[in-house]
Amino acid sequence: MSRLRNNKLFVLGIILVSMVVGLCAVSFFYLPHDPNVMNTKERLLSPSVEYLLGTDQFGRDILSRIMVSSRYALFIGLVSVSIGAAIGLFIGAIAATSKGIIQGLLMRMIDGLMAFPGILLAMMLVAVLGEGLWNAVLAIGIFMIPVFARLSYSLVLDQKDELYIKAAQSYGTSRTRIIFKHLLPTIMPRIITQFSASIGNAILIESSLSFLGLGVQPPDASWGLMLSESRQYTLTYPFLSVPPGIILVITVLGFNLIGDAVNDSMVKRRAAA
Amino acid sequence: MLNFIIQRLLSGIGVLFFISIITFVVLMWIPGNPALLSLGTDATPEKVEALKESMGLHVPWYEQYINWLIGFLSGDWGTSYVFGEEILILITQRLPVTLSLAALSLTIAIPFAVMFGVISALYQNKWIDYMARSLMQLGDAVPQFWLALLFLVFFAAGYGWFPVAGFTPMEEGFWVSVHSILLPSIVLAIGQVGPLIRIIRSSMLSSLEQDYMLMTRVNGLSRTRAIGKYALRGAIIAPLTIVGMQLAGILGGAVLVESIFALPGIGRLLLMAVEQRDLILLQGVVFFITSAVVIVNIITDILYRLVNPMIRFGGNHE
Repeated sequence: MSRLRNNKLFVLGIILVSMVVGLCAVSFFYLPHDPNVMNTKERLLSPSVEYLLGTDQFGRDILSRIMVSSRYALFIGLVSVSIGAAIGLFIGAIAATSKGIIQGLLMRMIDGLMAFPGILLAMMLVAVLGEGLWNAVLAIGIFMIPVFARLSYSLVLDQKDELYIKAAQSYGTSRTRIIFKHLLPTIMPRIITQFSASIGNAILIESSLSFLGLGVQPPDASWGLMLSESRQYTLTYPFLSVPPGIILVITVLGFNLIGDAVNDSMVKRRAAA
Repeated sequence: MLNFIIQRLLSGIGVLFFISIITFVVLMWIPGNPALLSLGTDATPEKVEALKESMGLHVPWYEQYINWLIGFLSGDWGTSYVFGEEILILITQRLPVTLSLAALSLTIAIPFAVMFGVISALYQNKWIDYMARSLMQLGDAVPQFWLALLFLVFFAAGYGWFPVAGFTPMEEGFWVSVHSILLPSIVLAIGQVGPLIRIIRSSMLSSLEQDYMLMTRVNGLSRTRAIGKYALRGAIIAPLTIVGMQLAGILGGAVLVESIFALPGIGRLLLMAVEQRDLILLQGVVFFITSAVVIVNIITDILYRLVNPMIRFGGNHE
């Protein structure tokens, strides 16, 4: 941990994520304006003391909408990656501890899921399930499954011939117990690293889906949706597409930096051991 | 080697089989059924049954799947509800746009990635390396659709250097056509540069540490010549075969970029299929894109083995 604290990129990542989490926390107690109240008299205003980031095409306060959107982004990021990690871990562990046909079938399935370009699988699921917050969460969660399945598969494969597993087997410990009591605790650190790195990606996909009109639905606010709405004003008021993009970059960059730094420090620790 | 090719082909067919099942089953779950959806509000039970029969939806799902697969393999991909045209024709009409986008974006991305990857490895932990790595981090975090939007605002709408929308086909002149997709290609290229630099940088670093590099120094070659003649060759050729794996990223990015720049490509076709709930079209496009990704990956996997002698002879390439 002390090595991590000295890593400037890690510190930067923590600062960026804290900013967004802080913004989200504050949004529950205080918002400068009601994010959904329309006021056509004050539409497309430039930033001022009253409206720090200006107003949008319906006269809604942009800062308030960005603050409310951070709830969706963080919520979708956390929940969808949790779904993907849980199911992926399960499939990967089963595949690595079985033999022959089951292993082959599971891994081909994972390869198959991996062949879907990022947003494609999510789009297909949304087409079937319908637009909306929960369906986007589910779609992104399913997209995350193969990443975690691959990782846990190779980690478990690495561990399963280790002496402590052999010893447990020789005591007649059941497979479920070996997975949950012995394998999972060993591979957890790497899974957690992947978890934090994946949140940034999940938030990116959520914003892409919302941008295409397939994620969070109006009048609710989402950074991707705000960017999508700004498209009509690229000629008349281009500033509209700046604030949601910047906050999106800050969030994704923050989570990526944390994931990378933790990953680097673990690689170094293993090399040193 | 032959064993490897056969094994890779077989597992590829397995993956394609799973993709076809996933695509088919997922789209079967749609609330209501395609026949009902395409008839709309004036659907009487008799009409629905008649249409279901004509669409082959009256038999159990596994028979539907087999019929669909047979049709697919024989080139009958069905007809789109929205366009009223054969799906295979719709796809082949739009393919040139997306292929030009992919080709141009790789043409832009590869020289940059090679340059930055090699320089960043040669000057490891110097300021230029830190700069390249920061740019990589930033490139990973900036959403492509936002970048596309900003480029559109500044370079197309603002300065008027590029057309705001639309695609000019190759027949109307090569440069005019390139100009019409240059801006979206740059956006896609920026998304590709990061991962490519990462691969080339680490490959160059390991190539510089090889024994043969020490040998060139012992033989009295200058550092520049040693790098130009030996290290570069080892470091660049192998990673470039991985370019195929970027295809998934390019096709995913194309959905957003084509929608923003109003380019009539595969990505836009996909988006229309989703928006209009045109499931047969969606099925066709999804299966087309994923098959392309799988097949290109198989080819590059095999190329990678052929090009990289260390892997060819079973050595460790890490």
